[in-house]
Formats: sequence, structure tokens, C-alpha cells
Amino acid sequence: MARQMRRKKHYTFGAEGESNAIDYKNTELLSEFVTETGKIVPSRITGTAAKNQRQITTAIKRARYIALMPFCDAHE
Amino acid sequence: MRHYEIVFLVHPDQSSQVPAMIDRYRASIETTSGTIHRLEDWGRRHLAYPIKKLQKAHYVLMNIECDQATLAELESSFRFNDAVLRSMTILMKKAMTDATVIAAETAEAVKSEKPATEAKAEKIAPTDEAKVEKLAPTEEAKVEATAEAEVKADSE
Repeated sequence: MARQMRRKKHYTFGAEGESNAIDYKNTELLSEFVTETGKIVPSRITGTAAKNQRQITTAIKRARYIALMPFCDAHE
Repeated sequence: MRHYEIVFLVHPDQSSQVPAMIDRYRASIETTSGTIHRLEDWGRRHLAYPIKKLQKAHYVLMNIECDQATLAELESSFRFNDAVLRSMTILMKKAMTDATVIAAETAEAVKSEKPATEAKAEKIAPTDEAKVEKLAPTEEAKVEATAEAEVKADSE
């Protein structure tokens, strides 16, 4: 399947005081885990750890609820 | 007491009422001995998708520590206030007081707007001065011309 993005990316998420903490307000960070169409990318493609993937998913869903991120690319 | 993070969206036409709303919420929190750890007004932002056919909304973020009764009162006030489009309350484990990235972005946007208006004012000022300078010589010329005319009339 998607072997192109088979990077086993070791992503460190925000120790205290760093700017890449997983937070629904941090849309720059969250948009890296979202496709062009706005869908959440599975962790087997990005290589993120399971715990981080769960936190990213809840953060993305919260950001979508407050309209900081879109649900899809074809809104109207 | 529990820590909560609340984000609520206000109708952009009612942006002017936001400070009054914040004061009311602050009063209701502090009368029940709660505290506001962080309050950020992100101002009007473009929405990622239209809500009630609106493209922009006024965002406010609050990190508060209060009891459950106060929170219930706050949430019901959001529900029955027509100006509030949407609100989200999250239970937090501790208070957050750092400024968010979004607050820094809005502060920069406000700063970049101010120099633009100042630059416009500066552009207007020199042109006025140029006009004034042009007028002055012509007026002086007129004054001189009338003076010369008077002198000629006197001499005649």
C-alpha cells in the first residue's frame, strides 16, 4: 500500500515548554497529520506511536469542532 | 476545584459586546471564589468552515478554576445567549497560563495593522505640506503683486 511514506518517524512531542505539544490549538502541528483533503492520516503511514496518535486524533477532532481545522476540503 | 478550558465563538457582529460578556463571566466566577488563570481574546478569525452561514467569528479562550455549579451556570448562559455560536469546555488537569501561539499571531496582526495606518498618515502629511508650500509662494506673489500695484498707484 502506501510504501512511499514509510518513514518510521520518531516524533518527539513537547516536553514541557516546547512548541510542539499536542494541543487542539496547535493547528500547524496537527496539519502535518492530516491529508490534503482534511482526513486524518493513519499512524502506519506517519509512523507515530499509538499513544501520540490517539492524542493527535482527539486534538484534531476538537479543532474541527471549533472550526480551527476543516472537516474536508470542499466545505460550503 | 477543577480546571477547565473554555473556548467560545461569538457572532462577529456582536464583537463589541464581548468585553461586557467577559466581565459578566468573570464576575460570576469570582463571586464563587473561582479564578481565571488565562483569558485570551483572539478577535475575529476566519472559520475553517461556515457556521450558521458566517465566515468569521470572534474567538475567546478562558482557562478557569471553578466548581461544578459555576460551570453549569456558564454553560447554560452560553446555551441561551444567541450571540454565542459555539462553545467547547474541556476538563484540564492543571491550570495553563502560557500565551498561546494564536494569541501571539493576533498580536502580530494588530501590530502590523498599526504601522500600515501610520504609514498612510505619513503619506498624507507630506502631500499637505507640499500643497502648503505651493500655496505660500503664490500667496506671497499675490501679496507682492498687490503691493507693487499699490506702490504704482501711489506713485501715479
